[in-house]
Amino acid sequence: MHTKQNSLGDKYAEITVVVVTVIALVFGWFYKASIENASLPFSAEGVTAEAPKGWLQPEPNGDELFRTIDINSTGFGTTYSISKLTIAEDVPALEVASIVALNHAQDLLAFRVLNQQEVQVYGRSAYELEYVFIESNPDLTHSEFPKVVHGTDYIFVENGQAFVVSYQADENNYDADLNRFLLFLRSINF
Amino acid sequence: MTESGARLHERKHFWRDELLLILSMVVFVVVVYALDNALQPVFTPTTLLLAGVVLALIPAGIWLVFFNLQDRAEPEPKGYVLGIFILGALLAAAIGIPVVESLFRVSHWIHTSTAATILGGILVVGFTQEFLKYAAVRYSIYHTDEFDEPTDGVIYATAAGLGYATVLNIQFVVANGGVDLGAGVIRMAVVALAQATFSGITGYFLGRAKFESEPIWWMPLGITLAAVFNGVFNWLQGIVIRPTVTLSGATNNAWLGLVLAAVVALLTTGALLWLVRRNIKHLQAAE
Repeated sequence: MHTKQNSLGDKYAEITVVVVTVIALVFGWFYKASIENASLPFSAEGVTAEAPKGWLQPEPNGDELFRTIDINSTGFGTTYSISKLTIAEDVPALEVASIVALNHAQDLLAFRVLNQQEVQVYGRSAYELEYVFIESNPDLTHSEFPKVVHGTDYIFVENGQAFVVSYQADENNYDADLNRFLLFLRSINF
Repeated sequence: MTESGARLHERKHFWRDELLLILSMVVFVVVVYALDNALQPVFTPTTLLLAGVVLALIPAGIWLVFFNLQDRAEPEPKGYVLGIFILGALLAAAIGIPVVESLFRVSHWIHTSTAATILGGILVVGFTQEFLKYAAVRYSIYHTDEFDEPTDGVIYATAAGLGYATVLNIQFVVANGGVDLGAGVIRMAVVALAQATFSGITGYFLGRAKFESEPIWWMPLGITLAAVFNGVFNWLQGIVIRPTVTLSGATNNAWLGLVLAAVVALLTTGALLWLVRRNIKHLQAAE
């Protein structure tokens, strides 16, 4: 196969195509970020946060103040929730974490704690509980394999109240969705 | 100004093959759909997956058969056409799908609004796909003696587009563990027609860039136009195939998607044929 040399005009045209494509993709990246980071204010019982825009917000259950689900997630829908627990004044975060873990073990299929530790979350002391479970869809007509869900709870204890901020995502989306959750976590005030 | 040695003729067989490809896609879908309804075959997970992969290869197979038949009259190196087809497929698998699905995670946000569907479809999906199909031709056959007339741009770009479409279809089949034959085959035909059509636009611009002194913005304009067609088509496709829900149930509008793809492909092919003919007459007059 005989090949010919690029002319100078060809080379400039070639570079221009690459530049235009890169510019389009950079604009696409910023546009993606603007959609993913768009938020709506949330406020309940003294807790405020910036919740992701366009996500489903079902009615919260039990101790939950807030729950939001990304319906565009593949597999298990990425879920954020905030719960408020009333506790005695002197109960440490570790003890609350044990109660939360026990509740999860009762409610969630194949629940396992992966890691737990004290952490600092944007200047606040918290207890981090990382876990995994299997999504158990009660709908028997649901003809799909159950999903493995990776979750992390941040437990904040203040003035006889515990706030549990949960992040649950499909194991395949957990790392990719984590940055968006950290934005949400950062926006929470109580 | 023409490049020396360029053979300037219309390659009527190629345009006939393009029209036959569009008609064959419709016939292919009708036949598979009818067989699926009549026989109602029962598949195991493995055979369903295999059937899906085979169906994904058929649109490209049909085009290559037509191309091979016409090639006897107007020889074009079959190995190069097949090579560009494979290159388009490899670029889709190695770069295109990972960039769109994993880096940009398009499925997470592109359906959040009409603006997101159109802008995301153009800026991310359109530019990624059209640049890679352009690259498959531009960095392989473009500077060789085998790219020796304006129509070659459309031929090689179409081969790259069908390679890209084949990998998109196989990925769809594998990701879903097989597909429902009826609905799946419509989707495959639509993807093949759409990808071949958009890359045809890039191919026209490539053909002119090679044989005429075009300004520096010529090729970026071609890629941008193909990306815009890509994004707008996918948005329209989403509107057209949206199921209609009534009190008596929901209706499947996948057939309308095929009609849209066939009409867009016919109109685009007609427009490209007209442009290439006009261009060849212009070049012949200049000689």
